[in-house]
Amino acid sequence: MPRLLVCYKWVLDEQDIRINPTDLSLDASRAKGKVSDFDRNAIEAATQLVEQLGGTLDALTYGTSTVKQSLKDALSRGPNKAYWIQDAEAVRADSHVIASVLAAAIRKIGPYDLIICGEGSSDSYNQQIPSRLAELLDLPAVTFAQEIAGDGTGFKIRRKLDDCTELATVRGSAVVSVLGEMNHPRIPGLKQVLGAAKKPSEEIKLADLGLNSRDLMPRAINKSVRGFVMKRKNVIFKDGSAAEKVAQMVASLANEGLC
Amino acid sequence: MPGIFVFSEDCAIARQLLTPGFELKQVMHQPSCVITTAIEAAEQFIAAGADKVFVLQTESLWPEGLATAIANLVVEEQASVVLVGGTVRGKNVAARVATRLQAGMSSDAHSVTFADGKIETARMLYAGLALSEEILSLPAVVTIPPRTFVEPAATVRQGIVKTVAVVPDERVAISEVCPNERTGVDIETARKLVTVGRGFRQKTDLLLAEGLAKALDADVACTRGVAEDFHWLPVERYIGISGRKVKPDLYLSAGVSGQVQHIVGMRDSKVIAAINTDERAPIFEAADYGIVGDLYEVLPLLTAALENKQ
Repeated sequence: MPRLLVCYKWVLDEQDIRINPTDLSLDASRAKGKVSDFDRNAIEAATQLVEQLGGTLDALTYGTSTVKQSLKDALSRGPNKAYWIQDAEAVRADSHVIASVLAAAIRKIGPYDLIICGEGSSDSYNQQIPSRLAELLDLPAVTFAQEIAGDGTGFKIRRKLDDCTELATVRGSAVVSVLGEMNHPRIPGLKQVLGAAKKPSEEIKLADLGLNSRDLMPRAINKSVRGFVMKRKNVIFKDGSAAEKVAQMVASLANEGLC
Repeated sequence: MPGIFVFSEDCAIARQLLTPGFELKQVMHQPSCVITTAIEAAEQFIAAGADKVFVLQTESLWPEGLATAIANLVVEEQASVVLVGGTVRGKNVAARVATRLQAGMSSDAHSVTFADGKIETARMLYAGLALSEEILSLPAVVTIPPRTFVEPAATVRQGIVKTVAVVPDERVAISEVCPNERTGVDIETARKLVTVGRGFRQKTDLLLAEGLAKALDADVACTRGVAEDFHWLPVERYIGISGRKVKPDLYLSAGVSGQVQHIVGMRDSKVIAAINTDERAPIFEAADYGIVGDLYEVLPLLTAALENKQ
């Protein structure tokens, strides 16, 4: 029976982040947490594989003190057990640190036949973790999967590249990242939410992972983060009949030389 | 000897990367080096500014298997910066190389500079809601989206070509390579786009958008939901963070609310126009011109007005 692992990130919902117009700083005070969008596709893909092949699915996440809030949400989407690593420094962690922590945790709770990640996180969208994990765990990485099929000896993964698709066959374990277009994550119902409360979850202490200061030192540091401001004319026709508004639009486009 | 290294499995993208590579060379005083698998392209790289070209000898269908060979090479050559073309394959190679180097990496950077002994990059966060400047200590790995830079003009110059033997990575076998279906429309190069969103009630209603597109001499694009949830248009037609990035002269949307993940794919358009029933839809903040109204009423009128104008 295969053992599968899905990694996910608990991120701020960007829809609730406001840009402070005076200094372009980000105001995330009203932003709630969510399981990163593409990681939901990863959880769905992993859950479907377990439904087809049998076996078990664990979930693994690393984050700040808010990460514990994610467990019920993640577990309601299908995994059998969740592991989490909490670290106040996670807020400054770059992909090097995140991958070091996750890989060390996987060495502890693994091995797994397949490790599944989303194509990128909805906050930083660095798209590095699957490849970095594979390198640290000495596994092949097959990124941007559209379909995954397992037959007990390995996995066949159809992936989408910039100008073609291809079928990657791996024998033995691998790390796979899945595209957002791969599936539609199920929306957990009451039964799944209640069921999630009964599923096991376990904290892995960072101190128990045997990581050194080099592993935990971010290599990429944010010098500045500022909101992107659209500078547009914002001429909105909202009064009058539809025909009048259309006439104003056509006149504006003509003025721009576009019709 | 330290150097600024460039890799892409796509030679045109590798030549584009020689442009930021040259900027770094000017301030870092290190040679510009290209890693490639295409021996026949070596002279072109030198003409485009490469001082040294390393040709990896491989027959493999899986360029990502080269990550280990590239990592070994850049360690041996003491690369200070590795610029990688931000294709699907390139991103995988770059992150593996960065891990081998225990290096920091910026993904999808749209600028890369050198200051105070470190690399500085600019990139997007939160699907384009914010811009961040990242600082990477050396060695640094950076992926740059294709077509961010224009390749340098070719000049007559000398360079060194060196071949490198590669131990093949056989953990992944590749088969069934199929070129993507061409739908005849490339929204990334279109001059005008009519973009449809979830405001359309059924697939046949897209005829309204097609009529407008015809009157404007535009192509039809869509949001992620229209392509991936409704399957009304191929995924190659959707604009957004995980879809296509477009910058046409005119982007005109109907029934598109304007979530940040969509906006980021179109905000470099020259003129943005939008039609939506909801006055508070975020698309209007991103628009130069907007009509608050029902697309089912507005589109036929707009199409007729444009046709009459001609």
